[in-house]
Amino acid sequence: MAGSGHAPLREDLEVLLTVRDLEVEFPVGKGAVVHAVSGISFDVAEGETLGIVGESGCGKSTVAKSIIRLNDIKGGTVDYQGNDLAQLEGEDLRSLRPDLQMIFQDPISSLNPRRKIRQVISEGLAVWGDEKGSWSQSRIEELMLSVGIDPKFGDRRPHQFSGGQCQRIGIARALALDPKVLICDEPVSALDVSVQAQVLNLLEDMKKRYGLTLLFISHDLSVVKNVSDRIIVMYLGKACEIGNANELYENPRHPYTRALLAAIPEPAPTVDVSEGDISGELPSPINPPVGCRFNTRCSHATDVCFTDEPEMQRVGDSDHYLACHHPVAVSINGQQAV
Amino acid sequence: MSDVENAHVEIMTPDDMVDDAVKKRLGIGFWIAVGWLGVLVATVAFAPFLPFGDPDKLAAGPPRTGPSLDNWFGTDALGRDVFARTVYGARVSLVVGFIAIAFGMVVGGTLGMVAGYFRGRVDQVISFMFFTLLSFPGLILALLITSTFDRTLRTVSLTLGVLAVAPVGRLARAATLVFAEREFVQAARVIGAKHFRIMTRELLPVVLIPMAALALLGMGVAIVAEGGLAFLQLSVEDISWGVIINDGRGIRDLQENPHVALMPIGVMFLTILALNFAGDRVREYFDVRETAF
Amino acid sequence: MAQVSAANTQLLVRDLTVRFPTTRGTVQAVNGVTFDLAKGASLGIVGESGSGKSVTAKTLMNLLPRTAEVSGDVIFEGEDVRRLALQGREHFWGVKMTMVFQDPMTSLNPVKKCGEQIAETLRYHLKRDKKTALAEAEDLLAQVGIPEPGKRVNQYPHELSGGLRQRVVIAMALACEPSLLIADEPTTAVDVTVQKHLLDLLDKLREDRGMSMILITHDLGVARGRCDEIAVMYAGRLVERSAPETLFSDSRHPYTDALLRSIPRIEQPSHTRLEPIPGRPPELINPPEQCAYAPRCRFAQADCLESIPDISGVAGMHEFACFHPANTDRGREALASNLASGRTATGLEISSAGASS
Repeated sequence: MAGSGHAPLREDLEVLLTVRDLEVEFPVGKGAVVHAVSGISFDVAEGETLGIVGESGCGKSTVAKSIIRLNDIKGGTVDYQGNDLAQLEGEDLRSLRPDLQMIFQDPISSLNPRRKIRQVISEGLAVWGDEKGSWSQSRIEELMLSVGIDPKFGDRRPHQFSGGQCQRIGIARALALDPKVLICDEPVSALDVSVQAQVLNLLEDMKKRYGLTLLFISHDLSVVKNVSDRIIVMYLGKACEIGNANELYENPRHPYTRALLAAIPEPAPTVDVSEGDISGELPSPINPPVGCRFNTRCSHATDVCFTDEPEMQRVGDSDHYLACHHPVAVSINGQQAV
Repeated sequence: MSDVENAHVEIMTPDDMVDDAVKKRLGIGFWIAVGWLGVLVATVAFAPFLPFGDPDKLAAGPPRTGPSLDNWFGTDALGRDVFARTVYGARVSLVVGFIAIAFGMVVGGTLGMVAGYFRGRVDQVISFMFFTLLSFPGLILALLITSTFDRTLRTVSLTLGVLAVAPVGRLARAATLVFAEREFVQAARVIGAKHFRIMTRELLPVVLIPMAALALLGMGVAIVAEGGLAFLQLSVEDISWGVIINDGRGIRDLQENPHVALMPIGVMFLTILALNFAGDRVREYFDVRETAF
Repeated sequence: MAQVSAANTQLLVRDLTVRFPTTRGTVQAVNGVTFDLAKGASLGIVGESGSGKSVTAKTLMNLLPRTAEVSGDVIFEGEDVRRLALQGREHFWGVKMTMVFQDPMTSLNPVKKCGEQIAETLRYHLKRDKKTALAEAEDLLAQVGIPEPGKRVNQYPHELSGGLRQRVVIAMALACEPSLLIADEPTTAVDVTVQKHLLDLLDKLREDRGMSMILITHDLGVARGRCDEIAVMYAGRLVERSAPETLFSDSRHPYTDALLRSIPRIEQPSHTRLEPIPGRPPELINPPEQCAYAPRCRFAQADCLESIPDISGVAGMHEFACFHPANTDRGREALASNLASGRTATGLEISSAGASS
């Protein structure tokens, strides 16, 4: 599954963030490298929520962390309003940091256990000054209220809050800097089911209230669909399918997307997931398969899949892009059609 | 479908259960230990104003007598009051212990945190330094320095301080390595905090706790080490616990007047026990539970 | 759901109660849990963290710490397992009743080869000699669908992927031909595609061996396709129990109802507004004598605060513990009056905005 090529990049929209051919590698000793992300291209329009979905080891979190430069980038560009985030260093990079904020997976580990939550939330304002002092209490209280934490508990420390509350505090911290882009890396997967919806709704509310653009990473297909306008399905460091959230889930064309949808414990009756069988184990990202990276597990694979890497191509004229030599035919009313 | 502006955001209160569970206690043992250290420090600080007599006064009592009302810890071969000597000796021992560890904390802690935070080449250089320091026999280093330079309080303290750099530094490095991987440090980077701010605001408060516990333990080690140097007559040219113990180590003294050595040894033992115990409790007390359920 | 008769009952749990004394008071982890499990049947126990589902499983497996105060009966094939003689104990847990945990590494010894670990179980419980045990271990690995079992027996757990490790653990659990397998969140640590394979495997093994299974999970969807019956737990109590389809289409307990509504569904269009459950799970230390869900419940009435509803209904068909069950007239009435006043009996503010779906 390859997923090279720039077909999914759009020109007609207010694009805020464009990632081109992003490559990330991690050394694992003895000269070996993990090919975490191998040439992925996508863009995010202003006000849009882009979901990235895939199983562990597919590189979705690495993509997120590379965009905000928590990882080193080996190749490619990350264009944000005319700045290539992949090339920026030092003060140039730091000055753009407030625009791109992040919500982390583990709500408890993402808060410093020794600091009061008021300090945690105001850290961004303390770093950036914000007209010295004017931010002080009213802004922090407003933020706390907007994420649903009573400001009178500002002097408590993180361990006195539940996981869901800690995640709210993390959201308030990110919002304090008035970011344009909010990157959410598995923000609800550590939370209890009954609390997940609270946080997902809060993210939607905050997105509308503060005009945010969201990049939402999750392994949970239903959660990703709920929040996203557009979704990228990733496998072994590559993108296999990109498209409008509803369209992609209704007409999954890539065998891997189908396999993912078929594996949901409670498959949706409306989605055709036939031919979504998957077998075997995830290959090592140290020596990824040649050709299409999905070839070792795909029931459709032919010779070409073992030699040529498929390029991203548009499906029909909808917002749907696919990297597969043998896309699964769309079924319309139970009829197989190509 | 509710409108955003009207969306009812529920305001939550913290988890009271967790709140109460955190009210841990330091325990009575801790306060006894701290009490002992407090009494010791107060006694040592105000010794000149207290009726303990002159530690160097010869024939303060009959030589080589056991503990009595006049001489609480007895007298040594020269008839000096062992109690007065122990009190004045504590001044040197405690000051040496404190300065040595303070030096180790500042220098070792800084180096260790820098190594653990920046990693890579910086870490390699600093870690190599630590290894060198650790593999160099400490006693010989101390012998070299004290015999080459002088035997002032400052030299002895700093010598022991240099020896404390590597253990403290390695602990600081290890703790920093662990915490620097945590998401709260990544969050600080994302916010745009500079390295210095991340190290002082985010990492120092969490790294300081294991370091403080080690410091209390290390003070004990430094006091013992000073005693060792004194035993070899290479420590400060003044009374310290090591010097007093050295005075009482002759075969005849040990057989007939064991109190000369045993009394300061006992005080030293209690002090080090108190330091170790307090260090252990401090670590436990601040070991914040990070999982709320 | 077949009625459980004495003859084909695998497990009978009656009024199981577990308390943990702590410095702050007693944690009421499990409160009067009662259920039956027919031979060869599978029961899903669903709940969030703190619901008591894992404590229940550990109680059945006799894995609780010594401080735990347990009361109630656990009857396994007519035998009271809580009063098993010392002799009977040794080869009961791990033989007739076994458990698979969420994290396979908790059950695997990192410095022993996979084959040896399985063989060890066989040698200890079934007194096999070393050679037979190793051969059987290889056979078991093949049965749980591990490719190249001959090679895997000589591998260490860290050399395997998460999915394969969990298969090794399952093989180990099956070694002594248990009649009941308790799987505690067996797929929570693995990816969806692996989860599907593991659940398929458990299904197949259960059918092939006529084994009973208790599947403990936080995911209603996982339990749905895999269990004959689902029991929902909340705050240490069973609050609803029925066949999966009944539970999904006609839930009675407001917690189950709210849970089903709050989870994003794959068939909903994107940006469908979710209906979250307000608040968070209750404290288990000195809980008030009231329905534990009442503070988060949209249906709550004055009587919900006066006593704890018992679980009732047709055993084996549909049981629930609620005074104002959802999807009934009584429940609709309660909800309507709460919506009219804008708040429930516990003071929870509610509006119709969240109710429409």
